[in-house]
Amino acid sequence: MLSLICKRILMAIPVLLIVASITFLLVRVVPGGPFDADKNLPPEIVANLNAKYHLDKPVAEQYVLYIARLARGDLGVSYKYVNRTVNDILRDAFPVSLQLGSISLILAVLVGVPLGAVAGISRGGKGDTLAMFLSTFGISVPGFVIGASLIFIFGIVLKVLPVALWESPWHMVLPAVTLAFSPAAYLARLTRASVLEIVDKDWVRTARSKGLSQQNTVIKHILRNSLVPVVTVLGPLTAILITGSFVVEYIYAIPGMGRFFITAVNNRDYDLILGTTLVFAVLLIIANTMVDISYQILDPRMRVED
Amino acid sequence: MDRSLQARLKQIPTAVLALTIIAFICVIALSSGLLETMHMTLTPYAFDQTSDSYLAGPSMQHPMGTDELGRDLLSRIIFGSRLSISIGLTTALIAFVIGTLYGALAGYVGGKLDSLMMRGIDIAYSLPDLLVMILIGLMVGRGTQGILISLGLVSWMGTARLVRAQFLQLKNEEFVEAARAQGQSHFKIVFKHLLPNAIGPIIVALTFTVPSAILSESTLSFIGLGLSPPACSWGTLASDGWRSLRAHPHLIFFPSLFIFMTVLSFNFLGDGLRDALDPRTRLSKRTL
Amino acid sequence: MSRHLFVTLVTAFMSALLVSGCSSGKPKFEPGVLRVNLGTEPPGLDWHTATDFTSFDVVSNVMIGLTAYTNDLKCAPSCAESWDVLDGGKRYVFHIRKNILWSDGKPLTARDFEFAWRRLLTAATAGQYPFFLYDIVGAKEFNAYTADQVKAKSKPGSVLIGAAPELGFKAVDDYTFEVKLNKPAAYFIYLTAFCPTFPMRQDVVEKWGDRWTEPENIVTNGPYKLTHWQHEYKMELAANEKFYAGPPKVKTIKMFMVPEQSTAYALYENNELDYIDNRSLATPDIERLKHSPEYSNFPLLRSNYLGFNCKKPPFTDARVRRAVAMAIDKRIFPKILGRNERPAGSWIPEKLAGYSPANTMPFDPPGARKLLAEAGYPDGKGLPPIEVLYPNRDDVTLTVEAVQDELKRNLNMPIHLENTEWKVYLARVKKDPPTLFRSNWGADYPDPETFMNLFTSYNGNNNTKWSDPKYDAIIAAAEGEQDPTKRAVLYSQADHLLCIEQAPIVPAFMATQNIMVKPWVKGIAKNPLDLQFFRDVSVGEPSNVINGEDVH
Repeated sequence: MLSLICKRILMAIPVLLIVASITFLLVRVVPGGPFDADKNLPPEIVANLNAKYHLDKPVAEQYVLYIARLARGDLGVSYKYVNRTVNDILRDAFPVSLQLGSISLILAVLVGVPLGAVAGISRGGKGDTLAMFLSTFGISVPGFVIGASLIFIFGIVLKVLPVALWESPWHMVLPAVTLAFSPAAYLARLTRASVLEIVDKDWVRTARSKGLSQQNTVIKHILRNSLVPVVTVLGPLTAILITGSFVVEYIYAIPGMGRFFITAVNNRDYDLILGTTLVFAVLLIIANTMVDISYQILDPRMRVED
Repeated sequence: MDRSLQARLKQIPTAVLALTIIAFICVIALSSGLLETMHMTLTPYAFDQTSDSYLAGPSMQHPMGTDELGRDLLSRIIFGSRLSISIGLTTALIAFVIGTLYGALAGYVGGKLDSLMMRGIDIAYSLPDLLVMILIGLMVGRGTQGILISLGLVSWMGTARLVRAQFLQLKNEEFVEAARAQGQSHFKIVFKHLLPNAIGPIIVALTFTVPSAILSESTLSFIGLGLSPPACSWGTLASDGWRSLRAHPHLIFFPSLFIFMTVLSFNFLGDGLRDALDPRTRLSKRTL
Repeated sequence: MSRHLFVTLVTAFMSALLVSGCSSGKPKFEPGVLRVNLGTEPPGLDWHTATDFTSFDVVSNVMIGLTAYTNDLKCAPSCAESWDVLDGGKRYVFHIRKNILWSDGKPLTARDFEFAWRRLLTAATAGQYPFFLYDIVGAKEFNAYTADQVKAKSKPGSVLIGAAPELGFKAVDDYTFEVKLNKPAAYFIYLTAFCPTFPMRQDVVEKWGDRWTEPENIVTNGPYKLTHWQHEYKMELAANEKFYAGPPKVKTIKMFMVPEQSTAYALYENNELDYIDNRSLATPDIERLKHSPEYSNFPLLRSNYLGFNCKKPPFTDARVRRAVAMAIDKRIFPKILGRNERPAGSWIPEKLAGYSPANTMPFDPPGARKLLAEAGYPDGKGLPPIEVLYPNRDDVTLTVEAVQDELKRNLNMPIHLENTEWKVYLARVKKDPPTLFRSNWGADYPDPETFMNLFTSYNGNNNTKWSDPKYDAIIAAAEGEQDPTKRAVLYSQADHLLCIEQAPIVPAFMATQNIMVKPWVKGIAKNPLDLQFFRDVSVGEPSNVINGEDVH
């Protein structure tokens, strides 16, 4: 396991470098620059701004400057929010997304996995069909509809939960539920599918016929083996949820970093785009490493990295 | 589908119902497209026909109401079914094919190749989707090609990871050892033995890519990659109508209903396919 | 057993919610505290580089300039208690009040204006509005000189020739500020009420650099001061007790940043916001709420128009352009956009000098068809493909769709709509304007000059590629004309040329501001420039408040 972790840390560097480089190129290839605006800036001023941010230098030189800065841990400056650095922006926003994302992740797992397991075991029964309907609802209704509906029901009509903003722990409830809806649905279906796979297997039937109680069989054998697809999905899901969702943060006015994935691209705020991309990449690498480690624990037959 | 598969599928009532619904929607979609070339429509109104009754609720004249320009929502939903179904299906298939091949290779071969390929997926996940889609839109231009490429490109990774995990799990099972001992080629082992056993989660991923693609298509339309008005799809109808949730709920209710029904049908169908494909499944309602 | 546990847990949770969330005892408002929605984070508060209206919303409440706009668009004395217009309008002498203090206690002097204007004109500042001051002697040259300085700095070894040009404004003494113009400009006084011309503290700006607008560093002279800024979330302004005209009635302003309109409205409904405007009212909500006593609607000095690329066929021919102008019924816009927009006829808005109903192109489809036939496209035959490029935004989409429909029905002219991402749109419109485009223009100051100047041949924002030396000449004459009556006539002439004779644009509608105000808030004004001065507002005056609840 330790060697796996070490290998991943080593590989992380080239991966991050490639991600940074490709993104660096992408932002410069796409038309539209950070200083294009509705009311055109006079050309001298645009030239001046470009000079200030070294955007008038040849691309190769900009790239070298950028990598050098990255190595120092300096993610750059925002062109739109002129008085803030990217490090500042992310330092303020990331903890908020982390909080919301963690809660949603836990919620999605605690609701989705058991729901799916129950549905799989009682296959064809009423519980299964209900779970099927609920999970389909969860993934075919867009996030903003779920969010707006929850705000209306719980905030306006019932008045039991805050409508929006990020002021108290109660403010986390509706956004977390909104964010967890779709992942919970997906996890439920995945769990159900892999439970179905295992439940039919001969050795399970053997174990059951030997008289082991239902509960025992479930926990010990089925879940352990059928959790592999669920855990697989949890890797990217963790990174996605923890770096925040644009839709949920937008609807609930939460100051997280999810919004930057969209707004930074819309504004062509180069350094902010790169900053958010890299944070995501780092989290993804960590999450996927943990997934691969858990494979070995869940199913020792799976050998990752010969 | 071969005879036995068909026979087995027929035994699952939910799958049959699902197939019927999907077939019905496809027939409507296709016939509306066909009729349009002959300048006829399925409903009394064309999808782009404006009128004076703005934002009307459901009525005899307009069974699903009208939108801000007075256009009949039912006609627009029928028109939108064409793009949504084709986008949903095709994207799911693209993701399925690319993802399965990629994941199977990584999982089956394992070792360093697996490591490298997985890092490739990490990179693909990390790249900003929005930028990639804008770029593709500019390179390929408007139209379904661009939509399919964009959506396919951001959807294959999940399937690949699932397939790889399944293969890592299954390749050490006895039946694989047996096949190898028999001297069967790698190709045969992968496609005849491993893949059918791994099919469960893959089909789930497949049925999830469909609604994801339908809804993501509206994001594309937002950045100018998708349709030009007055054309529409279920995704764009949903994203145009959701703000009227309280004032004119019909604008969001009906597109969402259709998406929901389609996705539900695909889910049941996917389940049925899985059951039908798996030789060990006894097609009865209870397991033991 | 697990089912019972589940039900118990849910019941416990719901009870906890009900107990904690029960709002029967929660007061609806806090007297003296105003809660508003800014919408999005202001990209910066430096009033030289700020271009976002959210930045102006904040700056116009924490700062005052030489003059100030009133709600009926006049220029009233502010920092300057009076001014003299001398030399036939070429020289202004402002007499600055002696009792204005900055928020750190230091007195406001004329040198603060001198520094600020110089900084605005310095290219290195990268400000948006230096051209505002170009009527001042030496301003344009100074700006160009500093631009060269910047260029020279990036090319080591190059030598700058000559000294910096002299600027035509100076602080004669601590309380007298003199400005010399190149030619008489009647609209100049309006510019002194505009945010970019506000004074600035040299010591503060030089000490803190890019971070001088952070709450702990910023120094302002207005009725409020910035006390708290949680980025991307909320800003707090506190009343400036040392404000020269006395501290305002509202002691705290909480400015939230809620980007989604329906959420912001839900907050208003829940008594968590006291005053909301367009940023918090989605069109379907306006439909629902327009009969509420809390709702009002007023037109803004922001005009939406269709522009032709006059160098692309078929719009090279003025007759085709005029036909399009005649074929669009402007009344369709408020119907489909649903925000009570005012259909526009002429380019100059109704409230400004030079407006005349005679400059409105009539809606006349038969006349339009005749013109089109005259131009060589009878019944729309033979028309080259017409492409409309637009950025994807709900109201823009509806506008162009409506235009597409009108032209098809009334002129048999098919147009092809192409939407694109915002920045891509800006880049393309600048490089190669599409055959037909939709745009909007908001007044920078309440004078027809800000509207009419847009379509001169030398304006960088004129995407119509239309130029007419006659038009340029009329505008130049109007700029210098001191007699307001004669000026109005000149602008009206230009408007006629623009809208009726040549029609490089088709004015579509004036945007409106939709607001909702809680009964315990008084003093919210209807300002066509979309400025809101909270110093005139009060929340929960003693006469109409009992126990934190409004009595009316």
